[in-house]
Amino acid sequence: MNNPIQQSQLLQTRRHFFGRSCTGIGVAALASLMNESLPAHANPVPDVVSQLSQFAPKAKRVIYLLQSGAPSQVDLFDYKPTLNKLDRTELPDSIRQGQRLTGMTAGQKNFTVVKSPWKFQQHGQSGTWLSELLPHMSNVVDDICVIRSMHTEAINHDPAITFFQSGNQQPGRPSIGAWLSYGLGSETQDLPSFVVLLTKNTFHQAQPLYDRLWGSGFLPSKFQGVKFRSQGDPVLYLNDPTGRSSSDRRAMLDRLEKLNRMHEEAIGDPEISSRIAQYEMAYRMQTSVPELADTSDEPASTFELYGEYAKQPGSHAANCLLARRLAERGVRFIQVFHRGWDHHSNVQKYLPTLAKETDQGSAGLIQDLKQRGMLDETLVIWAGEFGRTVYSQGNPDTFGRDHHPRCFSIWMAGGGIKPGISYGQTDDYCYNIAENPVHVHDFHATLLHCLGINHEQLTYRFQGRDFRLTDVHGKVVSEILS
Amino acid sequence: MPGDFSASEIIRRVTSPEPDVRMPPADGPKALDQKQIELLKTWIKNGAEYQTHWAFKPVTEPVVPTTGSSDWPRNEIDHFVFARLLDKQLKPASEANRETLIRRVAFDLTGLPPTIDEVDEYLADQSDQAYEQMLDRYLQSPAYGEHMARHWLDLARYADTNGYQYDTEREQWVWRDWVIDAYNRNMPFDQFTIEQLAGDLLPNATAQQRLATGFNRNHGITIEGGIIDEEYRTEYVMDRVITTGGVWMGLTVGCARCHDHKYDPISQHEFYQLYSFFNQVPERGMRGFTPSETIPSPLVGYRLQELESKLLKLQTELDNPVDIDSYLDTWTEQIANSPVGGWKVLIPETLKSSGGSTLTQLDDHSILAGGANPRQDIYDIGSRTDAVDITAIRLEALTHDSLPNNGPGRHSNSNFVLSEFELTAVSVVDNSKIQTVKFARAISDYEQVNYEVARAINGTVANNDGWAVDGPTRKEPATAIFVAEKPFGFSGGTLLRFRLRHEAGFATHGIGRARLSVTTDQERNLRFKGIPDEIRLIAATEITARSVDDAAKLRDYFIEHHDPQSDLKQRIKEIEQQLTTAFPATMIMQDMPQLRKTHVLHRGQYNEPTDEVSAGIPAVFPSMPKSAAANRLGFAEWLVAPEHPLTARVAVNRYWQRLFGIGLVKTSEDFGVQGSHPSHPDLLDWLATEFIRSGWDVKHIQRLMMTSATYRQTSRVGAAEYQADPENQWLARGPRMRLDGEEIRDAALLASGLIVNQLGGKSVYPYQPVGLWMELNNRPGYSKEYPQGSGDDLYRRSIYTFWKRTVPSPMLKILDAPEREFCTIRRSRTNTPSQALVLLNSVQFVEAARHLGERMMKYDALRLEDKLTFGFRLVTARKPTELEMEAIMEAFESERLKLAASPQTALKILQVGESEFDSTLDQSQLAAFATIARLYLNLDEAITKE
Repeated sequence: MNNPIQQSQLLQTRRHFFGRSCTGIGVAALASLMNESLPAHANPVPDVVSQLSQFAPKAKRVIYLLQSGAPSQVDLFDYKPTLNKLDRTELPDSIRQGQRLTGMTAGQKNFTVVKSPWKFQQHGQSGTWLSELLPHMSNVVDDICVIRSMHTEAINHDPAITFFQSGNQQPGRPSIGAWLSYGLGSETQDLPSFVVLLTKNTFHQAQPLYDRLWGSGFLPSKFQGVKFRSQGDPVLYLNDPTGRSSSDRRAMLDRLEKLNRMHEEAIGDPEISSRIAQYEMAYRMQTSVPELADTSDEPASTFELYGEYAKQPGSHAANCLLARRLAERGVRFIQVFHRGWDHHSNVQKYLPTLAKETDQGSAGLIQDLKQRGMLDETLVIWAGEFGRTVYSQGNPDTFGRDHHPRCFSIWMAGGGIKPGISYGQTDDYCYNIAENPVHVHDFHATLLHCLGINHEQLTYRFQGRDFRLTDVHGKVVSEILS
Repeated sequence: MPGDFSASEIIRRVTSPEPDVRMPPADGPKALDQKQIELLKTWIKNGAEYQTHWAFKPVTEPVVPTTGSSDWPRNEIDHFVFARLLDKQLKPASEANRETLIRRVAFDLTGLPPTIDEVDEYLADQSDQAYEQMLDRYLQSPAYGEHMARHWLDLARYADTNGYQYDTEREQWVWRDWVIDAYNRNMPFDQFTIEQLAGDLLPNATAQQRLATGFNRNHGITIEGGIIDEEYRTEYVMDRVITTGGVWMGLTVGCARCHDHKYDPISQHEFYQLYSFFNQVPERGMRGFTPSETIPSPLVGYRLQELESKLLKLQTELDNPVDIDSYLDTWTEQIANSPVGGWKVLIPETLKSSGGSTLTQLDDHSILAGGANPRQDIYDIGSRTDAVDITAIRLEALTHDSLPNNGPGRHSNSNFVLSEFELTAVSVVDNSKIQTVKFARAISDYEQVNYEVARAINGTVANNDGWAVDGPTRKEPATAIFVAEKPFGFSGGTLLRFRLRHEAGFATHGIGRARLSVTTDQERNLRFKGIPDEIRLIAATEITARSVDDAAKLRDYFIEHHDPQSDLKQRIKEIEQQLTTAFPATMIMQDMPQLRKTHVLHRGQYNEPTDEVSAGIPAVFPSMPKSAAANRLGFAEWLVAPEHPLTARVAVNRYWQRLFGIGLVKTSEDFGVQGSHPSHPDLLDWLATEFIRSGWDVKHIQRLMMTSATYRQTSRVGAAEYQADPENQWLARGPRMRLDGEEIRDAALLASGLIVNQLGGKSVYPYQPVGLWMELNNRPGYSKEYPQGSGDDLYRRSIYTFWKRTVPSPMLKILDAPEREFCTIRRSRTNTPSQALVLLNSVQFVEAARHLGERMMKYDALRLEDKLTFGFRLVTARKPTELEMEAIMEAFESERLKLAASPQTALKILQVGESEFDSTLDQSQLAAFATIARLYLNLDEAITKE
């Protein structure tokens, strides 16, 4: 990992195969070389081809702060002064355009527009508008790109988050992280290439998560995300059993290797060597994971950045800090799952809590990466699965907001992304997209592009078809690329 | 233009320098190279004859190749394999030794390693038929059905939860038992097919045949609040078509959902014709859990008989005459001597509502809930009592005119759901004395069907599990009695802390007005209202002084309320209850009497129907038999008609895949044009015809494969052979591959002696790290902690492990088990550090190692070496080599010395897991054996079929 030449070769090798430059060769070939039915040892790393991709990767890794439940764009990012006038009026049919609603508000008689009760202000050189609910984020607006014209297809959580994570509403496809592990391999020999961090949930009606969200789908299961946990073993089964010390651990592995080697000599199956290597990597993880999870070596300035919350294991801020530590150690794809944005009632009560839970940690992460010179090569994403309606679910006084897939906001920053811009426009009602729509498939294509991968070339043959993260869709949003 | 490629449009297109003309695009991923273009030219030159894709051609029986004088072949299979080996200039490997063979066979047929007795018996058997007889024994083992079913469950996407969002629980295990039983009875594959796909439509379908159709109800089902019903109903039908197409035909029919299949000859129109077969279920998208039927499991049906005979016995007992008067006298004496008894109403001292309701004490010490009406609420009620030996608590749910419709509940329909009733007793004198009161049973004077009061003390608040009283139709008070397991109460006074938890999925279902009482009466004297004072008074009167009227009153009251046979009647009621709940309703298939119209769905979207279609078969296949109905049954019969080109090929290929690691068609999930070509096409067809000829005899076809010389080859062939053919496609050696996760766990359980062999039944919850369920979902009412089992449940075979789709068993998942959210035909087999961690550190394996160690230590042999060999054989079936033994002995000695010096450490090692260790043994020695056992269970060989 510390050898930069080796590191770059490792990257280039696979990227070469999936990048635009590999016309006519490789993709299908590599996909079949890596086919799951091959014994694990038979995954050859293809010879390094010196030719560089036509577009050099900007990002080496991704930190993705996933906001499950769907944050309200109209209260956080998408400033709509026009709503001051439209407040408490009915949403006109000309805006709603008869599109389908969820089962929760489809039967509602009134669709009363409720403006955001929070103040918006412009910040930074860029003059990016942000809600007062995100005071820390206002310090980093010049480093991020807010996309206000996201849209998706599903209108409920399970299909929508599954779609965001895998490009398909129904279960069965690999998650983004699994695609990247498969496509880019690992940068580190001590840690998994795809790590998942779960934030402890505080909202009583939070949407659940599912293993499939970091699953490998039809890709070999070794590409699935590995959960780092804030309770119990930091990685499942990482700790030695009671009564066993770390010297026992070494002795066990040495004996095991000795016997396994004898057996390999008798049999000849190189899979045994591979097993020995995996046991060694497990051994290294037993040392490296506790070391990285222990943030006590961080200086006080770190906690000034991420906030005091960062000292509570399992908080969003603590996970942001952990994400940076993982990134430093070469983990390719780090996804932090934060739940609780699903506010069907009492937005005024619940939204500030959620915003507060994520604000400082997210902003701190950006600043921290920047200070360490890592932001340029780390793509940071903050996104939920859809947006929320401008009209009130239930009583407009204690209003809730229902699911809204037709427009919502996310932000991206760092490796490959133009900083300090806002992209896309919604209409006066924050209901439809007025300019520069970005579909989830486009978002995926752009994400892969930042990592130097052509989304049309990253394929895996399954059931006779060359599957892609972006299915048969997706367009790189070049306007937001740096 | 056959013969002339220069006039060919194809050649013009593939060679054109014009980017707009050239196909496939030169910068695309599928551009053709020069070699491929030449091949096309040659094909055209030779007449451009278009052949049907091999897999769509009828299966014809190929001639078995003659392979000269070689005496290697044992049956037809070997002739085909040998011919191919000759082509490739390869030689078969020699036969594997007997230890390897029996272990291979045992795993392949039962998913378990052989026992030492089995190994010894086979080693000692000098007869010619020794191998075949050994194999037949495993074919007859009940573990065979479990093992075969386990594979089938991946295909059938079987799980114990509904998938999607909150992933609530389902009980479909009776269907799983049907599969195990079908394999154990060696049900012919055509019948196996018909019953699962269309058992309900068979003439005079039996309950078991209807049960079989659970296969196509195993898909996920959503309960997500906002979903659109038809959207999900459509997905369920899609899932059935795609699963059925994949499992029986090895076809990716799903590709034709949105447009004509790009590669295989299935148009979008034809896809929806297939869809029509499966589109007739009277079901919903939201909570689509019906149709369903309560049908006994074929495996644990004997429990029904046990219950029935118990019932009969009790009923006979009930018919015996009873001497009422002697009971009456005893009882009268009892209540006369404890005149205080009855219910004592508790005076609440503290009242708290977690959800913000206002709880007010009324004059009669009942507690009225008002004000905010939260979705969910826990009433925390504190009270004090001087009573000791409290036997029961009474909870009255009273009505009040401030409550909706003057009923007992807070919901607008007057109902309540009490998810759980909990009580903690704290000593007033010494508040460090705290006791969680456990209740043995609960009775009520009224309970709603499926919301029995017993659900308020069953430890779960998940879903809608609780006590309810039909509020919408019955606006009456209701009373429950909770009987303590043991009498409780501290001398000097007891502080009682009640928790009335209302956490069901139904919102605002709190109890409206609750009153709590305690009693010290014996259980048999408990009545909802307590014994009236009048009766007590009569009882206290000398028998001689009672008036005739009073005596009659006393007697009537006694018979009405204190029937001496009440215990008996209660037991009968309980057994009757068990009989009705022994088996949950299983979701099954049904067709609606009035067929649902099926339309082609534009882009596969549920809300974009276009042309109407009728049920039918894609044109590329032989048509349905004339006699067959145009429904699922006809479809199933068509699948197993002998002329079907795919069904038999696909099935035998899967059996092959299981034994050899890869199928003869490597892409066992895709026999279409994009799938791989068979490595041994003739062998595949010969096996398919043999399968049909044998009457679709599954055991026969497996036996044939496993008695072949091909299967019996050794896998000890040296590195060069592995490098030459990593996947062993040409079969010049025996199979060698890592076992499936379930097999690895089961093997450790068997070797350790911990395994509990019990066929069928409810799924169980073995060890799992704490918190995995709640960290993904902690919504009250829709979530719970993983309810880890104890005792036998920890050691059942892995097929019975509770399968939660959104959080499957982490151990199995790490070892490549799928989520089962959809049909999986081929699992991946990977090699990862997480797998090492599971085997080294998880409680299940560490505990198994401990018991394996104990078995070694107790093994009746004088020499240490023999004890260590015994354990090694339990894991690998073979004896260690001298070099291996040297290493093992050395390890043992060094552990023994170290642990002898640190008895504390030894004890810790022996305390991993729930089971006890044998305390008569020397602990340091035992821990040293356990260490060696852990080493054994982590050997590559231990988790590999050799």
